[in-house]
Amino acid sequence: MAKVLIPTPLRQFTGKQDAVTASGATVGDVLSDLTSQFPDLRKQIFTDEGKVRSFVNVYLNDEDIRYLSKDKTPTQDGDTISLVPSIAGGATTTAPPEEATLSKEEILRYSRHLIIPEVGIEGQQKLKAAKVLLIGAGGLGAPLGLYLSAAGVGTLGLVDFDVVDFTNLQRQVIHATQDVGRKKLDSAAEKMTAINPHVKIVKHEVALTSENALDILKDYDYVVDGTDNFPTRYLVNDACVLLGKPNVYGSIFRFEGQATVFAYEGGPCYRCLYPEPPPPGLVPSCAEGGVLGILPGTIGLIQATETVKLILGIGEPLVGRLLLYDALGMKFRELRLRKNPECPVCGDHRTITKLIDYHQFCGVPKQAPAAQETTTVNEGEIDVKGVKEKLDRGDNFLLIDVREPHEYRICNIPGAKLIPLGEVPNRLGELDKSADIVVHCKSGMRSAKACGILRQAGFEHVRNMKGGILAWSDQVDPSVPKY
Amino acid sequence: MIRIESDPWAAMVAHAREIYPNECCGAMLGSTLDDGKVVREAIRLQNAFEGPQAARYELRPEDLLAADKAARDRNLELIGIYHSHPDCDAYFSQTDLKNSCPWYSFVVISIQKGEFDHANSWLPNFDQTEAAKEELIY
Repeated sequence: MAKVLIPTPLRQFTGKQDAVTASGATVGDVLSDLTSQFPDLRKQIFTDEGKVRSFVNVYLNDEDIRYLSKDKTPTQDGDTISLVPSIAGGATTTAPPEEATLSKEEILRYSRHLIIPEVGIEGQQKLKAAKVLLIGAGGLGAPLGLYLSAAGVGTLGLVDFDVVDFTNLQRQVIHATQDVGRKKLDSAAEKMTAINPHVKIVKHEVALTSENALDILKDYDYVVDGTDNFPTRYLVNDACVLLGKPNVYGSIFRFEGQATVFAYEGGPCYRCLYPEPPPPGLVPSCAEGGVLGILPGTIGLIQATETVKLILGIGEPLVGRLLLYDALGMKFRELRLRKNPECPVCGDHRTITKLIDYHQFCGVPKQAPAAQETTTVNEGEIDVKGVKEKLDRGDNFLLIDVREPHEYRICNIPGAKLIPLGEVPNRLGELDKSADIVVHCKSGMRSAKACGILRQAGFEHVRNMKGGILAWSDQVDPSVPKY
Repeated sequence: MIRIESDPWAAMVAHAREIYPNECCGAMLGSTLDDGKVVREAIRLQNAFEGPQAARYELRPEDLLAADKAARDRNLELIGIYHSHPDCDAYFSQTDLKNSCPWYSFVVISIQKGEFDHANSWLPNFDQTEAAKEELIY
């Protein structure tokens, strides 16, 4: 038997009793016993479909059953069940500001929005009054920039400090071939203005840092995260939580993507999902692991859709749900996300109240080491010219390529033996411990690891080819393609 | 019909002015009589909304539970919730409606430029799709 406390307005249905007893093995059973004793209560607590009404929270003793086993939560004699309504509200947006009035030309342009009842003139004015910050004008930023400007979001901020590169063109559809070498900000802004001259574009040509993030984000209503690295992702998350701005999140890798809305009206944040960053190097970036060029289009447009829904205040926002997309299986799945009460930035006992050093937090150096630019050759290294000389002299040495077979097929140095990094420990037996060995990969990172493995195993003459095959292409053989 | 006695009414308006330009919120305790409800006491509750509170409020369920208990202890009933709309009419907004509960009267106090302007009481329906205006006397 459990005691059920009856809120005052419902006591008219329980013969004025403020507490009644009901029996059952679970909370669900107790509630159905309660409503069979007092049938008039049923409509108050349950919907016609028999679900607990959205405004009713059920507490078992001091715990919300949503965080226990919901209606399957077992009950014992002496338990107390309370029905507590969830109540919130607010004036929300008043009438859209004067400057959001639509001109005759805009009414024509947005005609297909205006005739949807859920959007209408009022919704289009909300879009016009909205200020959205896009972090990154790359893979995700491209579809976001194109569609949000077309949709008539009044102010779009762009944060990026990069230059368009040939390797971007396979997916960053806001940039064209003739834009290679231009600032991404200029290239993106030009396309967006061409699509919709009514949109105000604000360019922030900076790397987002703990020093400037709050100042940049504060002027926007919504932040869309299109970044590709962990330090910036945590930085954007924390800044959004601290400022109370929704963070429309997306991430991509090879054939898979994720999207959700963090930090929205008490919903979970990125740290609730990932309290700690992965160890440096464990999760490859798109530059390291590759990405299907179309994928950021799919994920970026999910982010764009969520942004527009939030601005219009329609539909079910992707809050508390992580959408997982698998392009190969062509499947969408959803994981429920819960706010973590112990979250250091949005939980009950917050330890992060200002922005921190995110590079240190993620264990990665501030600037990726520009291997090919430094000219000094350290102990245990050899530069590409040195390797070329050895080959030309016909030196007796072994050149090992530790990249993957599919990379080897893109380009390789003739005579190099392919042993992918992951196979090195098992294939040591193939190699002569006293041989003169040079190891290379794409840029010098993986080969440095391979050198460490070989030295550990007792190989005496092992050197890392600095800058990898990219440096080889730059300094020795320009006919070798870069990727 | 809901009538708010002068002491709780003064306390509610003072609360709304004090918290301006943010939204305040609280509970109204009183009795249900044959000819309507009477508010005899107002309890301030904390606005637990995470984020800017100029146009949002949220009640913690445990605070509501405590208010209900306080009512029991004083032989009163928890009959309504009040909150303020700073620089905005005392209408029942979509946000109010979507997060409402049909068990209570919802009094909205409009505060314009820091001063009391007007107030309304609302009775939302079960589906949170509409709220009927309730006669309010203060």
